[in-house]
Amino acid sequence: MKIVLCGNPNVGKSVVFSYLTGYSAISSNYPGTTVELLKGRAKISSYEFEIIDLPGTYSIAGENKAEKVAKEIIEKGDYDLIIDVVDANNLERNLLFALELISLRRPLILLLNKCDIAKEKGVNIDFEKLEHFLGVRVIPVVATVGIGFNLLEREISRFIEDKTKYISNLSIGGEIGEKWKLIGEIISKVQKIEHKHPGFMERLEIITTTPSTAIPFGIFIMILSFYIIRFIGEGLINKIFDPLFNNFYMRVIEKLDPIIKYDILKFILFGKNPAPMEGFGVLTTGVYIPFVVVLPYIFSFYLVLSILEDIGYLPRLSVVLDRLSHKIGLHGYSTIPLIMGLGCKVPGIFSLRILETDREKLIAASLMFLIAPCMPQTAMIFSILKDWPLIYTIIVFGYIFMVGLIASFFLNKIMKGSSSDLFIEIPPYHKPLFKNLIFKLKLRIKDFIYDAVGMIILGIFLINIIDILGFMEKISSFFAPFFNKVLSLPSQIAIVMTTGFLRKDVSISMLIPFKLSLKEIMVSSFFLVSYLPCLSSMLVLSRELGKKMAAYVIIFNFMVSLIFAYIFSIILSIIL
Amino acid sequence: MSETTLSKAPMKKLKVVGISGGLNLRRRLEFMGINIGSVIEKQFSYGNGPVVVKVMNSTLAIGRGMAEKIIVEEEG
Repeated sequence: MKIVLCGNPNVGKSVVFSYLTGYSAISSNYPGTTVELLKGRAKISSYEFEIIDLPGTYSIAGENKAEKVAKEIIEKGDYDLIIDVVDANNLERNLLFALELISLRRPLILLLNKCDIAKEKGVNIDFEKLEHFLGVRVIPVVATVGIGFNLLEREISRFIEDKTKYISNLSIGGEIGEKWKLIGEIISKVQKIEHKHPGFMERLEIITTTPSTAIPFGIFIMILSFYIIRFIGEGLINKIFDPLFNNFYMRVIEKLDPIIKYDILKFILFGKNPAPMEGFGVLTTGVYIPFVVVLPYIFSFYLVLSILEDIGYLPRLSVVLDRLSHKIGLHGYSTIPLIMGLGCKVPGIFSLRILETDREKLIAASLMFLIAPCMPQTAMIFSILKDWPLIYTIIVFGYIFMVGLIASFFLNKIMKGSSSDLFIEIPPYHKPLFKNLIFKLKLRIKDFIYDAVGMIILGIFLINIIDILGFMEKISSFFAPFFNKVLSLPSQIAIVMTTGFLRKDVSISMLIPFKLSLKEIMVSSFFLVSYLPCLSSMLVLSRELGKKMAAYVIIFNFMVSLIFAYIFSIILSIIL
Repeated sequence: MSETTLSKAPMKKLKVVGISGGLNLRRRLEFMGINIGSVIEKQFSYGNGPVVVKVMNSTLAIGRGMAEKIIVEEEG
C-alpha cells in the first residue's frame, strides 16, 4: 500500500517521514529542506507501506516547481492514503491545503504536529471539534520525540479495515475566498489563544527581526560563527587529531616501512619523506589531509550550521541580507545555497532548487563558487598559512569574498531581467534538539568520509603515478610560461593547477613542497579556489542546471579568476 | 482612512483592499492568507528592503517590489 505524506513547508514532514521509515532525511527549521521526492518503506502494524514524502506546498494550485510536483502526484491518485502534516502553531494557514485535500475525496488523515510548542505558546486546539467540522481524523503528535505515533498506527490499522470512513463529505466552495471564510469560521470554534508573557525565544525574535538590531546582530552572528568554527577546528587538530596521528598512527606506519620491499610501492605508500604534509604518501598525506586537517573543520562547521538551522536563524539572516542580495541580482533567500556551499558545494548546488528563475540560479551558482571556498579548502588554506600572522589568511578570504561580490554585481548588470522578490515564511525559533543535531552531524560527516576520503586518497595515488611516469615536468613546462609571466608563480606549480580541479583540498596541499613565498601562496590559493569547480561539483552542476548553464558558470568563473588572480598578484607585490 | 501600499503603510494592523499584480502574484499571496479583506499586521520594514508582516499565526517576509503591489488601509 502507498501513503503520501504532504503538507505546508516546515511543518515537520521530514521528521515524520524519518520516524515512519527509519530512513535518514535531513530536517531543519526553515521552509524547503526537502526539495525532491523522498521514498521509503515502513511497516505499520504488520502491513508494508511505501511512503512518499512530498516537498512542502501551500496549495496544490500553486505555480512553483515543488508545488507542481506535489500536485501531479496528488492528482494522479495511485495511492491509498494521504497523511497531511499540519503545524498546530499555524493551524489557520495550514487548513487551506487541508481543505484542498478534503475536496479530492480521497482517504485522508490529519497529523497535527508540534503540539508541544503550540501548548507552550498558549495555542489550544479542540481536536475533537476540528475532526467534527472537517470530517477527517485528526491525530495530535510531537514528531521530534515520537509522541502520538502509536495513535497514528492504530488509526492506520483501522483504515485498512474500512477505508470509506476516511473520506470526508464536507462541502467546500471552489473559490479561495470561500475557503478562507470557512477556515475563519472553523478556527473561531476550535482554536483559543491565551496571551503568554514573552519568553526568551520571543525576545530573541524581537531583537533579530527589528531592523535596527537585526543587522548588527546578523553581523555579530556571522563573525562569532567564524571564530567558533575556527576555535573548535584548530582545537581538535592541535589537541586531538595531530597528536593522535603523530604519536599512534605514525608509529604503526613506521613499523610497516621495513616490511615492504619494493621501492615504488614504498614511494606510493609512504611518500618522499615522512613529513605528513609534504611526502605525498597514500598512507601518510592521504590520511593526514582528510582526517587531521579537514575532518575537524567539517565537524565544527556542520555543528555551527546545524545549530543555526535548527534554531531557525537562517530565514532571518536572509531577510537581513535581502537588500544587499538585490544589488547582485538575487533575493535574500538565495543566501541559503551560499551558506550550504561554505560546507561543500554539492549540497549547495542542490539547494539552488529553492530559487525560482534560471537567472537567479545562474548568478547564485556562479557566486557560490566565487564567494568562498568549501570547508575542506578553507581548512587547507588555514593550514598552509598557519605560520604567518592571521591577517594574511583574512586577506585571502576577504579578497575571495570581494571578487565574488564584484563578479555577481557584474553578472547582474549584463544579464537581462531583474531579481524577483523575497517571499518567505519566517518560522518561530525552536530550541535545537540534541537528537536531531547529532543525527544531522553524523549524516554529514558520513557523507564527507564516504565521498571525500576515497577521492583524496585516489588523488594522491594518481599524483604519485604521474610523478613516477615523469609527466610532471611535461605538464609543468607546457603551462609554465603562463603561470610564470601572468601570475608570477614558479613554473613547477603548473602541475598543481592542471590537476587541481580533481580534488581541491589535495591541490592546495600540493603547494607545500614547493616552499612558496607568502605572496605566491596567497595568489595560488585564490586561483585554486576560484578557477574551476571541483570535479564532483562540476558533475552535479551540469545535472542540476543543464550542460549549457553549467558551462556558462564555469567559463565565466574561470575568466573572473584569471583576471582577479592577476590583479591580486599586483596588489600583493605592492603591499607585501 | 486612505489607501496606501503595504510598503508605505504604518506598522499597524492593516486591511488588504487590493492587489495590483498579475494572477500569479495574487494567487501566491492568497495561499498564504493575504487576500482582499484579510487583516495583516505590519511589524517591521527594512528601509528600501523587505517588510515583515504577521498573517494569521505566521510571520512572512515580503520583498519590497511585492509589498508595493499590496494595497491596504488602516484597520478600524
